[in-house]
Amino acid sequence: MKLKILLAVASLVVLTGCSSKSSKLGSYLENGSDKYKTNKEFAGESVNIGEECFDISQHNSSKDNFKSIYFGFNDYSVSGEMMNNMDQNINVATSTQDYIVLEGNCDEFGTDEYNYALGLKRAKSVKDALVSSGVESDRINVVSLGESTPVCTKQTDNCYKLNRRVDLQLSK
Amino acid sequence: MFIDKIYTMNIFRITIIQLLFITNIYAIDATIKIEKDVEQRAIIGLVNESNTDSSSVFNQFKQDFKISGHFLVKNSINGSSYDSNIIPLKLKSMEYIVKFKYSVDNLHKLSVKLIKVSNNKVLLQKNYNMNDSKKVPFIVHKSVSDINDILGFKSIDWINKFIIYSVYTSPKKSDIVLSDYSFNFQKTIISGGLNIFPKWLNKSKTSFLYTTYERGVPTLYKVNLKNGHKKKIITSQGMLVCSDVSKDSSKVLLTMAPNSQADIYELNLKTGVKKRLTTFKGIDVNGKYMNDEKSIAFVSNRLKYAKIFTKKIGKKGASKLIYHGKNNNSCDIYGDNVAYSSKETNSAFGKNRFNIYVASLSKSTTFPVTATGENQFPRFSQDGSILMYVKKQRNNSSVGYINLTSKQSILIPINNKKIQSIDW
Repeated sequence: MKLKILLAVASLVVLTGCSSKSSKLGSYLENGSDKYKTNKEFAGESVNIGEECFDISQHNSSKDNFKSIYFGFNDYSVSGEMMNNMDQNINVATSTQDYIVLEGNCDEFGTDEYNYALGLKRAKSVKDALVSSGVESDRINVVSLGESTPVCTKQTDNCYKLNRRVDLQLSK
Repeated sequence: MFIDKIYTMNIFRITIIQLLFITNIYAIDATIKIEKDVEQRAIIGLVNESNTDSSSVFNQFKQDFKISGHFLVKNSINGSSYDSNIIPLKLKSMEYIVKFKYSVDNLHKLSVKLIKVSNNKVLLQKNYNMNDSKKVPFIVHKSVSDINDILGFKSIDWINKFIIYSVYTSPKKSDIVLSDYSFNFQKTIISGGLNIFPKWLNKSKTSFLYTTYERGVPTLYKVNLKNGHKKKIITSQGMLVCSDVSKDSSKVLLTMAPNSQADIYELNLKTGVKKRLTTFKGIDVNGKYMNDEKSIAFVSNRLKYAKIFTKKIGKKGASKLIYHGKNNNSCDIYGDNVAYSSKETNSAFGKNRFNIYVASLSKSTTFPVTATGENQFPRFSQDGSILMYVKKQRNNSSVGYINLTSKQSILIPINNKKIQSIDW
């Protein structure tokens, strides 16, 4: 039991370095019967708790008030996590008559030809989401940039996440 | 000569930025343990008779002999008399002696002599001249190729040919570069913007295709290196890649996405007629001709992950070609041989290991070509005897070659460069 308490304290010490997530994780720590199991997992993966500090919604490489849409590994479906960003993109897109360019991007894994196709599928998914919300299809151009345009070049998980994205901007 | 001509052309943005010599370091993939029996290779002694600095020429000889798979340089010494045919005592146990003398005045001159040790007979004596110091590697390649031919070995003409590759320089920017196989000669021929997927259009390597982005639209161009002409071939929204060329250079396989959907098309370059070959709603890329151009192999995510499939041109349906591995996202075909990459680890993040394998469709055999790192872009040489591949290392690339007969391999670091695509 002492060990578990120590582990829980250690977890909280680690978490204090992450203000944006500490309240959420703190409440989770107080949550019912899985308390100690959860604490142990957090303590055992203290390095990964640091990863929890990474909030992808704080990142954006799109222009003209659009928000970049980020994707999972080898995935090209728009996740629920990106709905807020998509809502903003729909608002921006419906408030203008300008053409919109969607640029699909990938992380560095795999061959470039496959990645160009994957980037295109991502851009197409975002286009479909915009069109289903009333944005005219012929106002949207999609293009894939494969892995040619990384916003982050470090070999870290968070960096790879930032590169698996669709950037939006107006075509002027 | 033809390279010189394109400098003067203002039709497109060809810039000769620099001629880069990479450090002459050859790193052998230590994981490749297969070696051809020594008895099957000609054992040679290499004698440098040059009076000028010739270390790069000396190293080039050794590398060329090695990758040929036909020679074993067992001893190398500095000599003192090119004209003498007397075999130095130290080299009496060799089968052949190769003497060379490199000198520079207004031309770069390379004199080469091949002597059979058992009878002191001179089998080849030739002089090679080059006016451009950067192209000296090519005269070494040519002399080794000639020695190879005079001894009756299978042709290694591929070492005389140009390689073309695209390299990332900054976000949304990449250059197209010509090089020899050893990358000791390199010349940037297209720069400005995103220039990707260069592909030789003919066996003589005088024309190539590449994709660039014009006002955001992927556009395929044909470049004639002899006269510098550049011709727009086709455009496609989304993406556009030339992945293969028919034997007679009349047709090409393209990955295009006119409706934001990546599929494989066949384009007849003479008539301009294009034919859609795949219609899957997911990803179909990397089309390669096979079966006398009656079928194609291609990479598809029909089974969620990238796998290699085949289908007959003009017929419906596709079948899996390679069953090994969970993720095969690139392939090349030579006759019955399929070279493909296979993802060996299953991590969404961090380091992943991709290895290259060669499978024989007729013999149902498969063997690995690489064993460590992230290896991609398998590309057979024109005669199918050598497999080239790109090894990614952080933000750098290395280019590996493996002689599929002798299993001799070399790995050449391309310092501080990330290769986008490569062809030879």
